[in-house]
Amino acid sequence: MPEHTVKAYSEELEALSSEVARMGGIAESAFSDSLAAVVRRDTRLAREVVARDEKIDEAQREIEHRAIRLMALRHPYANDLRQVLSAWRIGIDLERVGDLAKNIAKRTKVINEFDPIDLTQSIESMGKFASIQLKAVLDAYSSRDAKAAVGVWSHDEDIDRHYNALFRELLTYMMEDPRTIGPCAHLLFVAKNIERIGDHCTNIAEQVHYLVTGEELIRDRPKRGDVAAAPPAGEP
Amino acid sequence: MERMSPDSTERGAVQLMPPPMMRAHAGEVVSARTKVSARDVRVFYGEKQALFDVSIDIPDRAVTALIGPSGCGKTTFLRCINRMNDTIEGARVEGTLEIEGKNIYARSVDPVILRTRVGMVFQKPNPFPKSIFENVAYGPRIHGMAKSKAKLQEIVEQALRRASLWDEVKDRLDQSGTSLSGGQQQRLVIARTVAVNPDIILMDEPCSALDPIATAKIEELIDDLRRNFCIIIVTHSMAQAARVSQRTAFFHLGHLVETGPTEEIFTNPRDSRTQDYITGRFG
Repeated sequence: MPEHTVKAYSEELEALSSEVARMGGIAESAFSDSLAAVVRRDTRLAREVVARDEKIDEAQREIEHRAIRLMALRHPYANDLRQVLSAWRIGIDLERVGDLAKNIAKRTKVINEFDPIDLTQSIESMGKFASIQLKAVLDAYSSRDAKAAVGVWSHDEDIDRHYNALFRELLTYMMEDPRTIGPCAHLLFVAKNIERIGDHCTNIAEQVHYLVTGEELIRDRPKRGDVAAAPPAGEP
Repeated sequence: MERMSPDSTERGAVQLMPPPMMRAHAGEVVSARTKVSARDVRVFYGEKQALFDVSIDIPDRAVTALIGPSGCGKTTFLRCINRMNDTIEGARVEGTLEIEGKNIYARSVDPVILRTRVGMVFQKPNPFPKSIFENVAYGPRIHGMAKSKAKLQEIVEQALRRASLWDEVKDRLDQSGTSLSGGQQQRLVIARTVAVNPDIILMDEPCSALDPIATAKIEELIDDLRRNFCIIIVTHSMAQAARVSQRTAFFHLGHLVETGPTEEIFTNPRDSRTQDYITGRFG
């Protein structure tokens, strides 16, 4: 794409994009570290993730500030406008991803006070899948790849399936041994947080698609039995 | 459906994703009735071709903005609609241009009569060096629209009200039109235009000589007038096109590149030339 006649305008837009990419990187590592903390029972790493959240919040404020400035001073149109809007919205989603990673880390500290549970393996594979989604959508943003974004968007169901399977597993565990209810309840929240990070990935995918094509993806994707919000049917 | 030149982009024809995944765009807010219809309009100034096969349908009771860099042909096209190009030595118009299905370049059409139906407002306000009242009364009087003095007064008052000027000038109708401020003069010119009850109002950068407040008043007036008229406005201000129009047409190097609902042109133009222009990447 040709440069703006006013070069500072192009530079400001580029700076906004880089800030989103930078924030994405921080959120991505916060999330993967929070997972590592759960899986490896690493309380120190968990603490570090909690402390890192402030950086993510700061990045979001920076993006918002830049976006407001661009709107007020440059009056962006067309793809420029979409660039500003999507950066703003992606910033909001990434900030939530950071919060959820922080919450996973906080729960890890509590879980680590109990005896180890096998279920961390299921958490690990679910988390890995969500991490791949997050990385893929951030790559799609950097390369302005609408097709890749649609790929992420349509894979969200897989995370939901993981979550449902894990939900059943945890219930079984808790029924078998009520002493595990404490850590299992926390793991359930960890799983829920991962599932929600998946939702934020789809939001970001929608933004990338809008940014590139100017067209919105419809939000209400048909889900195969929406069980993420409630216990699966037939369970006690 | 609009039929446009081969290099123009027809909106809606391109589907990036399968339809079930897409959200339909909001319907257009304007009347579906076509007022002005141009087909393959070409304009030459002597040897030089200024417009190339412009085809566009312009709806009634809506504001259509013509945008594009200087020399792109937007004003040339505007001037075709009331045959102002006839007055230019060596200018030649080809193709068809219809208002309500009637060819305005037909032999039987008197350009003077045509121009009462198609009013025009220029960049610089050009009131006659006469009183405010006479400025507005002139058209209706020469066209025999008023049978009595009372009727004429009624027409003048109504026109000044429609141009949102009445309250500011009602106590000084005898004063010269040129004694008004720039913004008031432009509204006086608009009152003069609407006094003869035209179908179409052409505006050629009507606010470029005005300050932001006077501009806002004209824009408010345009929004008001579109309920009764077909308005076509040439503007260099992208923000103004975005604010006042329901449809936007982008011209470049004498070609109509793209036309569509204003909201879409300013959020998601189809043609890269439109995109580059409105985002300030050339021009």
